[in-house]
Amino acid sequence: MALTKGSAGLRRLIFLVFVFVVFFGSASFLLSPSVMNPQAQDARQVLCPPGTPGHFLGCDFLGRDNLARLLSGSTVSLGIGLSVGVLSTLFGAVWGVVSGSSGGVTDQVMMRILEVWFALPELLIATILLLLLGHGALAVVVALTFGGWMGVARVVRGETLKIREQLYMEASRSIGTPPVRMILRHFLPNLLPVMGVLLLFRIPGGILGESTLSFLGLGISPPQSSWGTLVNEGFKALPMTPWMLAWPAIAILTTLLSFQWLSQKLGEPK
Amino acid sequence: MKRLSSRLIGVVFLLWAVFTLTFFLSRFAPGNPFQGDRKLPPEIMANLLAYYHLDRPLGVQYLEALRHALLGDFGGSFKNPGLSVNEMIARALPVSLTLGGVALLESLVFALIIGMGIALCGARTSAFLKTFATSLVALPSFLLATVMIAVFSSKLGLLPPALWEGWRSLILPSLSMSLAPAGYLARVFATSLEETRSSPFYQAARGHGIASRFLLFRHLIAPSLNGVVSILGPLGASLLTGSFVVESIFAIPGLGRVFVLSVMNRDYPLIMGTTMVYTVLLAVMTLAGDFLVERVDPRIRAL
Repeated sequence: MALTKGSAGLRRLIFLVFVFVVFFGSASFLLSPSVMNPQAQDARQVLCPPGTPGHFLGCDFLGRDNLARLLSGSTVSLGIGLSVGVLSTLFGAVWGVVSGSSGGVTDQVMMRILEVWFALPELLIATILLLLLGHGALAVVVALTFGGWMGVARVVRGETLKIREQLYMEASRSIGTPPVRMILRHFLPNLLPVMGVLLLFRIPGGILGESTLSFLGLGISPPQSSWGTLVNEGFKALPMTPWMLAWPAIAILTTLLSFQWLSQKLGEPK
Repeated sequence: MKRLSSRLIGVVFLLWAVFTLTFFLSRFAPGNPFQGDRKLPPEIMANLLAYYHLDRPLGVQYLEALRHALLGDFGGSFKNPGLSVNEMIARALPVSLTLGGVALLESLVFALIIGMGIALCGARTSAFLKTFATSLVALPSFLLATVMIAVFSSKLGLLPPALWEGWRSLILPSLSMSLAPAGYLARVFATSLEETRSSPFYQAARGHGIASRFLLFRHLIAPSLNGVVSILGPLGASLLTGSFVVESIFAIPGLGRVFVLSVMNRDYPLIMGTTMVYTVLLAVMTLAGDFLVERVDPRIRAL
């Protein structure tokens, strides 16, 4: 009993931290830079420990406030994760619906292209795309969107094929409904639940992709902060302080774990 | 046999498509490999471009590169003069293969242990292990790697934080790569174990009073392996190619690090070489995985 109780308590704690991260992370850009400036350097406070007055989570090696950097980094990472999640789900869904509902040669060609794309890992595609797109948040969003839409497309196509066989679809076809109208009126509403679940997988995927790329120095580049660049800086500062690594690590872990458990809960038949 | 040949045609098409995509994506990227921090005089830049044939029309460059690649030659590295791409890959590939192989083995062992635990232990332990396995899936390898370096290298001084010197430097990188797939595999294995346990043939075998160890291995574990085996191909491929994150962190001189450096340096021939090697690895592993499934599970062979 203690075992499950303990793990449930830990789960609740992690979920709470996640809610905090999301709430303050998404609100941080509303704060004026005079209250919280992620770039302000204070040479007297270099590497101050957590709990220093005015620097709740301590300072980094340039005397910048860890909390401010974590929050602005959270804004960037969560924003990119959400955008990548939404965009790749939409793109994949459109691909899947068009491919599945049109059938024939169009379907064949679209599936072949999908297979080529699928053969390569998400990060490999994103890295090569970043060559073209350069650095910055927008480039990362585009690169990860085109790196990670394939799973969505495959699932949505499968669902589309299932829907196509329904009786009401046959009825609709027989009275000559145009394809676009079929997609909007029949396929999309029926696909929305699946797309919701897929979105829940894609958002953490986007967050993970962004932080990995930025950590490697291929995504968001300093001095702008994101969870990936923060972990990178924290890793470099490891001989001096563990805190710079700890804060972004906690943010990433709680976020990814919360998403993981959430989607597990949804996946379990109740 | 017909299936094999059509699969091989698919692989050839895949290789060509990836080659073409990579070529044009890298050529349309802004800047060129020789634009560094220091601005080069235009004459020198022109000479450099001419030396590497970068001043020719793009179509000519493409056909030239394709012809050489078909002969297995990716040319010389731009940023490492005197080294051919083939030499650099030949030096780096064994390292990545070792690392990926060890990580694959580790994730298999963990997955089998945790999966058996989920399926065979009591309800409480099972629920705990299930959450544990699910949580493992969410752990990003770069975070695991940095945190493990922080704890085991910086704090405790037990294991080397970087480089490639002996088996001790294999532990942290392979662990940080294998835990997430282990969690995923464990869930898959546990699910198929539970399915097998409720299947008629298992119930019948049990009813016959077959000795428990034989029952466990022959009638429960063996039929449940196909789910795990079918993932082995893609998993092996992703471990071999996914190592580029971990290799960069641990400064391991493998293919992944060569890839990341080549992208950062815009070293076109090297980008092309590593990407093609990755693609070949992926295709081979996926094919091998599919054939392995057929060998392991007679039910699929019969189809």
